[in-house]
Amino acid sequence: MSQVASVGAQGSDGILVVDDIVKRFETAEGPLTAVDHVSLSVKPGEFLAVIGPSGCGKSTLFNIVGGLVDSYEGTVTVAGDRVRGPHPAIGMVFQEESTFPWRSVIDNVAFPLEITGMRKTERLERASHFISLVGLDGFERRYPAELSGGMRQRVSIARTLASEPKILLMDEPFAALDEQTRLLLGDKVLQIQQELQQTTLLITHNITEAVQLADRILVMTYRPGRVKRIVDIDLPRPRSSEIVSSEAFGHYVAQIWGDLREEASRGMRDEETRRKA
Amino acid sequence: MAETGRLSAAPSFNLRADPVLALRVAIIIAVLVLWQAVAASGLLYRDVVPSLFAIGGALVKLLTSPEYYRNLGVTAGEVGAALLIGGLSGLVVGLILGGSRLLARAYEPYLYYLGPTPKIIFFPIMIMWFGVGPGSKVAMGAISCFFPIALSAAAGMRQIEPILIRVGKSFRANTWQMVSKIYLPAMRHPIINGVRLGLGVAIIGTLLAETKLSNQGLGFLIIQAYSLFDMPRMYAMLIALFMIAIAANAVVGWVGNLDRVKAGAS
Repeated sequence: MSQVASVGAQGSDGILVVDDIVKRFETAEGPLTAVDHVSLSVKPGEFLAVIGPSGCGKSTLFNIVGGLVDSYEGTVTVAGDRVRGPHPAIGMVFQEESTFPWRSVIDNVAFPLEITGMRKTERLERASHFISLVGLDGFERRYPAELSGGMRQRVSIARTLASEPKILLMDEPFAALDEQTRLLLGDKVLQIQQELQQTTLLITHNITEAVQLADRILVMTYRPGRVKRIVDIDLPRPRSSEIVSSEAFGHYVAQIWGDLREEASRGMRDEETRRKA
Repeated sequence: MAETGRLSAAPSFNLRADPVLALRVAIIIAVLVLWQAVAASGLLYRDVVPSLFAIGGALVKLLTSPEYYRNLGVTAGEVGAALLIGGLSGLVVGLILGGSRLLARAYEPYLYYLGPTPKIIFFPIMIMWFGVGPGSKVAMGAISCFFPIALSAAAGMRQIEPILIRVGKSFRANTWQMVSKIYLPAMRHPIINGVRLGLGVAIIGTLLAETKLSNQGLGFLIIQAYSLFDMPRMYAMLIALFMIAIAANAVVGWVGNLDRVKAGAS
């Protein structure tokens, strides 16, 4: 397994390097290895998607890279700097609803700048820029409760982008949204990525989303989470959601589903046996 | 709970269009009519149930006397100081208990046991510690409001969406920023509810103490009217006090509803 895993860390040209991560949890049924010797490397400006079935430890990986989990084996480095705790160069976008309901859109987006102590006029200016980048002009003074789920998730993305992270780390940011909104937001992400040359690591279980957005896709195995395969997505950029109807797109989706199917069904069986027990 | 206790069916005063308001007004009228009937019937001793006119006259006299406002100021100052001291210490204790599972398990039962204890039993001690002046009243009020505010804050902190805390951490907020920018705003509803309960019991604690042993304040005036058997004046005082309590509650509720506006301004 180790030589397969090492496929991830291709040389040292990565700005984000995850090296040989192992994370175990103590559970009621004994120790569980959630992430098993996972290595990967993201090059500057690259969009890497990590895809895997539920229970493959991808959210654990997200939290480890984000510095929200300690006590694991292996290292995470950003431009050579070891990640211990949340790193200023990494900006996280979470799966859950995460806007601050008591803050207006602009104050939500300005939050990270407030934390770093930027002056008010400057941070509001910067926040407006990122609000318009995610296409929410005119909603600056609205509150999250007045927005749709997709708009709120765009606020979260703008908030993270406002901190100008070297690496954008996203955990299924569109999981709670319907398919059409998801595709359209995917377009938005593609456009932003194009504009900012944003290095991105996306965690997802959605194949369409991964193929639509990524330069490379890393497929993980079901429990313990290992690197099963890395697929280069050779679709032209700039892309848009229209690409989902192309033949090449279908080919990639089929290929990745081929890899994932086995893992997902293993996960499903495992889930069933555990529920029976 | 925050919604049901509110006395603000404010905008529409059209009784026909608003059956709730109509019922509210109806019961007040019924009580007044009954009161006046009892007063007029002479069934009870005239001074125990004085006529509405006597009470109204006493109310006017009360509200135009500088003495009333001086004593109102004393009591308001005591309640304010009590709320400040008891509220802030309750908030700090609540934040600590809300933030630590261990400490909460160790100490929260004490709060639950002591919370409902009648605080007036501490009054003799407070007199010994802080004297017969406003100090002991403030202490009584502070002890009273400490408990509901601490318990609400602790519960409120545990109800914060964990994701919001993770967001704060991911942006590397320090402890003070976490408290001021995430914990407290996320807890605004339970805290305001706690302050509301706390304000109520602080008023009770302070007034009760004033009626026991004091030489100024509204509680003192009430008990003075009682000992002089000036019933209209006493009822007038109670009505005035009632109005103040409603107003105070309305102010706290209004502050609670402000949160959106406030958040926008920060």
